[in-house]
Amino acid sequence: MTHPKISAQNVDVRYGDTVAIKDVSVDIAPNTVTAFIGPSGCGKSTFLRCLNRMNDTIDICQVTGDIRIDGEDIFDRNVDPVQLRAKVGMVFQKPNPFPKSIFDNVAYGPKIHGLARNKVDMAKIVENALRKAALWSEVKDRLHSPGTGLSGGQQQRLCIARAIATAPEVLLMDEPCSALDPIATGQIEELINDLRQNFCVVIVTHSMQQAARISQKTAFFHLGSLVEYGDTDQIFTMPNDPRTESYITGRIG
Amino acid sequence: MTLRTQSLLVRDDRTRRRNAAERRFRTYGRCAVGIVALALTVLLVTVVTNGASAFRQTFITLDIPLPEAKLDKTGTRNPAVMAKVTTLGYAPVLRDALVQQLADLGIKTALSDKETGKMISKEAVATVRDQVLANPDLVGTILTIDLLVEGRIDGYFKGRVTMESAALDGNTSPDALQIAQSLADLGVIKTRFNWRFLTAPDASDQRPEAAGLGVAILGSLYMMTVVLVLALPIGVAASIYLEEFTPKNRLSDLIEVNISNLAAVPSIVFGILGLAIFINFAGFKQSSPLVGGLVLTLMTLPTIIISTRAALKAVPMSIRDAALGVGASKMQSVFHHVLPLAAPGILTGTIIGLAQALGETAPLLLIGMVAFVREYPAVYNDTAGLFGEAATALPVQVFNWTQRADPGFAERASGAIITLLVFLAIMNIAAVLLRRRFERRW
Repeated sequence: MTHPKISAQNVDVRYGDTVAIKDVSVDIAPNTVTAFIGPSGCGKSTFLRCLNRMNDTIDICQVTGDIRIDGEDIFDRNVDPVQLRAKVGMVFQKPNPFPKSIFDNVAYGPKIHGLARNKVDMAKIVENALRKAALWSEVKDRLHSPGTGLSGGQQQRLCIARAIATAPEVLLMDEPCSALDPIATGQIEELINDLRQNFCVVIVTHSMQQAARISQKTAFFHLGSLVEYGDTDQIFTMPNDPRTESYITGRIG
Repeated sequence: MTLRTQSLLVRDDRTRRRNAAERRFRTYGRCAVGIVALALTVLLVTVVTNGASAFRQTFITLDIPLPEAKLDKTGTRNPAVMAKVTTLGYAPVLRDALVQQLADLGIKTALSDKETGKMISKEAVATVRDQVLANPDLVGTILTIDLLVEGRIDGYFKGRVTMESAALDGNTSPDALQIAQSLADLGVIKTRFNWRFLTAPDASDQRPEAAGLGVAILGSLYMMTVVLVLALPIGVAASIYLEEFTPKNRLSDLIEVNISNLAAVPSIVFGILGLAIFINFAGFKQSSPLVGGLVLTLMTLPTIIISTRAALKAVPMSIRDAALGVGASKMQSVFHHVLPLAAPGILTGTIIGLAQALGETAPLLLIGMVAFVREYPAVYNDTAGLFGEAATALPVQVFNWTQRADPGFAERASGAIITLLVFLAIMNIAAVLLRRRFERRW
């Protein structure tokens, strides 16, 4: 690997006295899809939320260790989490559009970051984001109807559009398909594959088939530690660790 | 061996008992609802039957010759000079006018002129005097004017006073009622809707017919303004800070518990607090809507804080995550997304808090708002400052009137309660409408 986009070294996270993840070190390459897999409660979502410091919002959560994006320490005192989150976008497990119009949902990020100079500019950004999220053709005639009125799959794609409208460099996805049916899941997976051209995508998923289908790199978490990290093909065909093998063959988890 | 099965057509004991228990519970529930409905109906019916008459008042149409010899001896028509003639000087003018009118209409009376004069309200004398002083050229002409009649006669037309009760009453007599009836038959005395009840200031013990809610409504309005202007921003700011920004620790727990406790503090305690702090220490004027508003603000704050926090808590975490996820700052996520979603709850809480404050009596008694106030309080004046002029409030006016001896005030008190209830109903309806309107947006 040449220059990792994200480099995490010896990351520990504790909630009060409970250790959620311990000593995780991962290098994530640019323009790849990296999947985090593992049983529930193994800390993969927690680790994902460290990457854009969403854990800051939880009072009792303490993160130690070193996470660098493009070589810059994200826990540095000079780093404003707001700027970090503009660079590292996030899509959540449950579709959570704002109770506003489709247009406003997508335009919100660019608006607060001052990415558009005028209305035409903003319309372009919104259209672009919606096109990238493969939602444009479905909503172009009703941009001003509420985002919450869309179907579950459309809502999730709207959230993806919202996340990419701020032009992030990294896109974090926390089980983006867990609330969706297979057709919507298929659309999102295709989308993730396309997004790889422009972004570095990190996705948490419970579906091993999904990880195998869409990712180039896979990390297996178990009980708060990173068990194995490598090329997806290798993890799913010749895992080094017996625990990984047990999990992907369905014996644990 | 045959399997013993229970027929579905026969209920077993257990089911029967269970059904009986359920039926009993439903009956209890219906009884409870029935009792509440009955209590409410009785309350409303009593208040309305007692108080509706306060909104109607009996007036007499009098033609009053205004003799220059009595009212403007100097003939200068200068109000400053004419003001030397007090209401005592006007009383005989009105009395003579009524006696003359009775004679003209051919109504025979056994009453002396003095007793006849008593049929007109004492307030009427002041009304005529004010008119004359405002327009001195009226002197020497005949003024035709609707005047209040005395409270007992008003009561006779509303059914409160009868011939029998008048016979035992030192303030009126069956003869006076007889005359009033004759005048009513001729259309000189009429009972009609009484705007004065809502606009006039309070009146003294002897003239319930003149008493109105004007000062009390103004006072309540001023206090509600103070409460709204202070309690809403302070309460909402405090709740947002407590709910969204403070770390959860011992201190914030302590503050939370204390705010909840504050909501349960008896209102009279706030009155004592207001007396000690705002009047004795800060030196604000007694009886002023400013102090009343400040005390009610203290009382309303916990209500607003508690309901606002509940409204903020009800906004799903995912909305905050979504906003933070696209790089909004904490404040942007709160003001752009959380607050608009919590707004209906906040508004409802605020209006309910205001409604509570509007009906509050006890603390106002302690800060002197129970005083007898005849002057309309101004919003601002140079010596008293903003909301500094003495006023009363609606619930205090009710309290005040229920203590008066004249039975005419009982009707007034019920009328004031109706007015208060109408204001409360309007506020609650507003709360419901606002909530619907905001919730319907998506």
